[in-house]
Amino acid sequence: MEQKGFFQTKAGGLTIAFIVIMIAFAMILAGLNTGMQALCTVGFIAIVIAMLYSPVKVYIYDRLKQKK
Amino acid sequence: MNIPVNIFMWVMAFLPIAVLLVLMIKFQWGATEAAPIGLLITIITGIFFYKADLTLIAAESAKAIWNALIILLIVWTAILMYQVGDEAKAFLVIRNGMRKLLPNELLLVLAMGWIFESFLQGITGFGVPVAVGAPLLIGIGVQPMWAVIIPLFGQAWGNTFGTLGAAWDSLAMSAGLAVGSAEYISTAAWTAIFIWIWNVIGGIAVCWFYGKGKAVKKGLLAVIVMAVIQGGGELLLVYVNTTISCFVPATISLIVILLLGRSKLYREEWSIEDSPIMNRKFTAQGGDEAPKDMTLVQAFVPYFLLSIITLVVLVVSPINAFLGQFKIGFAFPETATGYGYVNAASECFSPLAIFTHASMFLFVSSIIGLVFYKKHGWIREGGVKRVFVKSISMTMPSGIAVIGLVIMSKIMDGTGQTVVLANGIADVLGIAYVVFAPFVGLLGTFMTGSNMSSNILFGGFQQTTANLLGVNSSVVLGAQSAGGAIGSAVSPSKIILGTTTANILGSEGKVLKKIMSITIPATILIGIIVFALVGL
Repeated sequence: MEQKGFFQTKAGGLTIAFIVIMIAFAMILAGLNTGMQALCTVGFIAIVIAMLYSPVKVYIYDRLKQKK
Repeated sequence: MNIPVNIFMWVMAFLPIAVLLVLMIKFQWGATEAAPIGLLITIITGIFFYKADLTLIAAESAKAIWNALIILLIVWTAILMYQVGDEAKAFLVIRNGMRKLLPNELLLVLAMGWIFESFLQGITGFGVPVAVGAPLLIGIGVQPMWAVIIPLFGQAWGNTFGTLGAAWDSLAMSAGLAVGSAEYISTAAWTAIFIWIWNVIGGIAVCWFYGKGKAVKKGLLAVIVMAVIQGGGELLLVYVNTTISCFVPATISLIVILLLGRSKLYREEWSIEDSPIMNRKFTAQGGDEAPKDMTLVQAFVPYFLLSIITLVVLVVSPINAFLGQFKIGFAFPETATGYGYVNAASECFSPLAIFTHASMFLFVSSIIGLVFYKKHGWIREGGVKRVFVKSISMTMPSGIAVIGLVIMSKIMDGTGQTVVLANGIADVLGIAYVVFAPFVGLLGTFMTGSNMSSNILFGGFQQTTANLLGVNSSVVLGAQSAGGAIGSAVSPSKIILGTTTANILGSEGKVLKKIMSITIPATILIGIIVFALVGL
């Protein structure tokens, strides 16, 4: 059986999501302290996307893949 | 604040919690999948119905990520400590050793699932007893799901006065109770009484899970002795010093249960063969793999170190003052919703005192433990790398759920949804509200994962409501904190700590369902007692 790399596993995907959230956290902090609202908005959207990785993968992507 | 408190706004505020509960309990979703959905709904209700702008939502999200990182530091270091023991096969030694000391399997489960967790809760808290306790129970042959459930029950009673009284101090602060005043002592006493009730229920529940009526009959004396020491001891000690009122009785109970194992009733080998919580296949295997030259004391070295380091740093004032001065935190500007609900600016939000934080105690104990095991040859080649890699990959999945849950609660708090929830309940119910006072505490801990945060969030509200209703506020505040303590058993962010270290991530819904069957009736019981005390 073909061995999956760490970042191809769910734990790996969540690790990437975690890293994205940390970057977004830094962006929001920078945005709040410099008054650049765009940074806050981009950071917040990145958080939402990263958070939705798991439910989208488990309940949409994987199910569609199974159907195929 | 001009937020309209009406049924529509209340339902909107409750919607994220309801969805979270339905997804986890009804549809058996894991917290990693359910939390983002709850969060998404909170963001929508916050923006469209509570008039929050994106800057406010982003600021609250950043605050939440910072708070979640502080929690995740504990998760990672608790898992690191577990991996150190696992790599050295210390859990097999602990299992075999504790079996010899406690030949009665029920007493063994009580000791490893309730009493040891109480001890850990007394000094560290923040979910450490659950994260550490689950693998220990698996090590003595408890099925993974029950290995998560039992520590959740075991640690809950210690949540208010545990962690050296951190949650109690928050209640006193948010309700404006002057230290040493009559109201302060009266509130502490009522809190301890309500917690004592839960303490007894928790002990009996563990026996019931192990073997229904037969186990309750066998374990009743042990439960009574432990509950008198823990709950009764705590009640006595709140009159002396609230800081040590959980830790001291929890430590005494740990010693007494080992002595109880030598008593006539519990010294013989006893077990219920078809116990639904035990994995008999697991129990029968693995004993030969335990290092022959490792003693029980040596297996417990990281835990002894954890206790000693924590006590020295937290109790010895000059050391605590010196190490506590190193803090990290971030500045946040003031934000407000369209309804004028203001989140005050902070120069240094929720500072992390890195050297006095529970994660540091866990980290140092784990590293010294690792060096100790390696020196004795119990860590195989490549073991150190394995310990760190496994600890990080086990932490990551739970990290997303913890972050999602904390962001959800922070946005609810920052947009005024939490206040509407609580005010709505009080407005509609009048004096009957007191029955629900412990539920408010429970709800606070459910949402934030912390009895301390629940007390900060709702302490002032409960005090104000009790005064408006003209009832004894000490009793209502006691119910708030006791409810908050019970809530620590159902808090998804604590459950996920256990499911992570028990390696059953995704089973949070099943765990929650089982626990709610005990916590909800127990909270109702406390509510009824409160009503009988102040409402009749």
